[in-house]
Amino acid sequence: MIWHIAKREIYDNLNSLRFALATLLLVALMLTNAVLHLREHPERIQRYRTSVTDYWNTLTSRTNLYALAQEGPGLLYKKPSPLRFCAEGGEDFLSDVVDASRFGWSSSSGLKGFWRLEYPSAAPNLQNIRSDAVKIDWGFIAGYVLSLIAILFTFDSISGERERGTLRLILANSMPRHTVLIGKFLGALLSIFMPFTLAVLINLFVIYVSGDVHLDVETWRRLSIIFFLALLYTGLFIALGLLISARVRQSAVGLVILLLTWVTFVVFSPGTLASIASRFSPAPMTADDYRQRQTLLMDEVRAEEIRIEEIDPSMRMLANGRLVIDDAERNEKLNEEHLTQQIAQVKFARSIIRISPASLVQHLLESFAGTGFNRHLQFLENVKRYAHQYREFVTDTDSADPDSPHIIGVREGMSRKPVSPDSIPRFEDILSLGRDFNAVTTDLLLLAVVVVILMSGAYLAFLRAQV
Amino acid sequence: MLITLIRRELLDNLMTFRFAATTLITLLLVVANTAVLIEDYEGRLASYYTALETHRQQLQETKTYSAGKVVVDRPPNPLSIFNVGLDKRLGNQVEVSYALVPTLWDAEMSGSDNPFLNIFNSIDIVFIFEVVLSLMALIFAYDALAGERERGTLRLVLTHPLSRGHVLLAKYIGAMLCLLIPLMLSLLLSLILLTTTAPFSLGVPDFLRIGGIVLASLAYLSVFYLAGLLISAMTRRTSTALMISLFVWGFLVLVYPNMILAMTHSSENLKSRANSAFNQMKQLWDEFERERKQFLANDAVPGEDWIFYEILGVASSGNYHAAKLSTLSCFRRDFVHFTALDDELESQVSHLQKYFSFLGSQTIDTAEQTWLVRKPALEHLFVQPANTEGILLKLSPVGVYEAATQAWAGTDLRGVRDFFDAARQYRQTVIDYFADNKTFGSRHWFSSDESAADWSTLPQFSFQRSDVATNATRALPDLFLLLIINLALFMAIFLIFQRSEV
Repeated sequence: MIWHIAKREIYDNLNSLRFALATLLLVALMLTNAVLHLREHPERIQRYRTSVTDYWNTLTSRTNLYALAQEGPGLLYKKPSPLRFCAEGGEDFLSDVVDASRFGWSSSSGLKGFWRLEYPSAAPNLQNIRSDAVKIDWGFIAGYVLSLIAILFTFDSISGERERGTLRLILANSMPRHTVLIGKFLGALLSIFMPFTLAVLINLFVIYVSGDVHLDVETWRRLSIIFFLALLYTGLFIALGLLISARVRQSAVGLVILLLTWVTFVVFSPGTLASIASRFSPAPMTADDYRQRQTLLMDEVRAEEIRIEEIDPSMRMLANGRLVIDDAERNEKLNEEHLTQQIAQVKFARSIIRISPASLVQHLLESFAGTGFNRHLQFLENVKRYAHQYREFVTDTDSADPDSPHIIGVREGMSRKPVSPDSIPRFEDILSLGRDFNAVTTDLLLLAVVVVILMSGAYLAFLRAQV
Repeated sequence: MLITLIRRELLDNLMTFRFAATTLITLLLVVANTAVLIEDYEGRLASYYTALETHRQQLQETKTYSAGKVVVDRPPNPLSIFNVGLDKRLGNQVEVSYALVPTLWDAEMSGSDNPFLNIFNSIDIVFIFEVVLSLMALIFAYDALAGERERGTLRLVLTHPLSRGHVLLAKYIGAMLCLLIPLMLSLLLSLILLTTTAPFSLGVPDFLRIGGIVLASLAYLSVFYLAGLLISAMTRRTSTALMISLFVWGFLVLVYPNMILAMTHSSENLKSRANSAFNQMKQLWDEFERERKQFLANDAVPGEDWIFYEILGVASSGNYHAAKLSTLSCFRRDFVHFTALDDELESQVSHLQKYFSFLGSQTIDTAEQTWLVRKPALEHLFVQPANTEGILLKLSPVGVYEAATQAWAGTDLRGVRDFFDAARQYRQTVIDYFADNKTFGSRHWFSSDESAADWSTLPQFSFQRSDVATNATRALPDLFLLLIINLALFMAIFLIFQRSEV
């Protein structure tokens, strides 16, 4: 019986103007998206490959353990996700590199500062005088366009039938109301599913056929998850549409309510709430503070150097080693603190904007597409793990050499044996689906809960509605 | 009679739920965002002052003229609250060096406290109008004709001895008055917020500019109302009119601007253009280097130029090379700082002075020559594509509206470039000042042994935003375009309505 209602809805929709317009719009957007991706992605991959080769070549060209320990691994790059066309995730504003190379100070006694992790920020726009634009990714297509289409498909589905009097006819049959409601829900969902699937298939076909972008099994799995998330999100707006449509007498009023809700939650609340939330969370240290603290650390090094010159020469090497290592550690800690504060502010803002279902689905899509803020955090974690591994490698190599005095930080204190390039650990940025899934379960549950609540709301409203 | 009709339309619209709801939402959004935007502007203003002070101090602490780094800062534009444009995004400090003619592409951004926050999109007041009020205009318009026709009231209205043109006009005026209410109310609220909570004050010119923004907003809303009316006149049923209106809205406001920006991209021949300009510039600097060597070989210390190199090696000296293909920046400047001059050096002072005065004028010459190559190349590489894109964007009224309001606010490209024009002028002032004081050939250029460089008499940099008249002339073409669209739409509606059956 549900299927009956759904079929009727679908037939109604298939012949309507809105169906044709929606199909046209979705296909055009998805095509744009594919073309854009094909233009940008190979370039991005090429850039990543060259940078990584550069990094590895520089690293392996060093055979001296001191040089390795001092210069550090160099620039560590974030691996671009092949699914960036699904969710841009503000990648342009997230740096794709962590600087793990030498800090520039050196003293007259031949002592030199060691490498530490530093987190450069991305400033993509300084030279770009073009207008601002939202990138057309699946996130935009689902977040803005699909939700709008869902509203346009459902705003009159109950109130319209009531206005025309057909609702009475349906309910005159021995059909429970929830069957009617679920039938309508499925009908609307399927009528959006069809053009969306068509558009997605065209999009993937273009990307697949071009052969420039390689999609493997894992990527396909992610794509299907993203596809279902988009549908779930559409379901949310269909449920909302049904709820409002059941409550109001006139379809026009329902539409106004829905459009305003849509505008508020989808278009405005992510930006507005993010700005408000970032004011209310503790501000990170200012750029000036950060620079000042860096200078302070440098001053400490200078003071310590002077102190070391006065102590017993036999102890000097040990003290020098300590100084270099401590300095690198302190600097890294400062950078880390700076970064953590910034991240905390963003995290808070991101948790607040979850009020908007559009940002909820945006976050979800980002996670599964392997882009965006969470992915950036993952990359930073990978980098930190690698940094630890690299430092351990230096200590281990040094302690493996019995001739070395085992004082890391000064040239004379470390092993002189040449290091084989094969033994140096290599940084490999990885994306894994399992980790993503854990991070986003809350978002997923939240989205599902909202759909269920809205659907039961619609049911209650429809139960009490007079025909 | 016209008045009666207008009153009827006005009351019809005012008493509706859609009017109340949209007004409420607009007010809420505008107030919430204005508060945030004001705070953001204050933050930027504060960091502007800090940067100003830091740069001043850094300059004062520089002991020799050659090492001096004169940096000018771009103040944030208070009207960026209305339309942020490029104000927040482009570099806000640029070095004014005799060795490089400063442009927008050499500017840097003084440190943002949290660069990650850029991943959230910021919302300005014009964007709210752009989305919400245009939607409201369409919601008012879609059933204005089709609805009356369906209900049969259109017949009644037309039985009066009144031309159809008058009926249309009455509808238009009634609806526009209605749309004016949320627009003016929200602007009023944001102005109250601005004047009461913000520690900065807006002058008369700023209010005139805001007036211009209101004008552009009205023209923009009218375009959407008329577009809705056109759709309403062309369709038989309100539901069809509504569907078409909303899809048109979605396309024009959400999809088209983003799609067109995604589709345009820089081509290969731009890259070759950049390469050729860059090579030309490099050649000019190579030429400079040859002449410098020539000078050292001939004039400095005849036969013993290695002594001269050694001298320069003693001082904390060096030269700063920069060559960046992406922004075509290529220059070289020297900085030298002796804290004390021993006897041997003292004997060379006249040589040094000769050398540096030669180097100074030569650097300035080369900088001017590279500028002649660089300027058209930058125009070609960056400005022209952006302009083409701007024209494509204007195929949607949203693009025209954005351009007009940015021009009024002074946050468009021209507004930002005004600052860099001022910076270039200031560079000339600094060079003239150096020339007048013979700074390049002076002892203070490279040494602080007698006394440190005196920066206090250096002329100050000041930048005034362009005056209202300039803003107006920049905004006028776009305003005019909006008016033309309005007129065209009105004519179209009139023609269709005239011939349509009731």
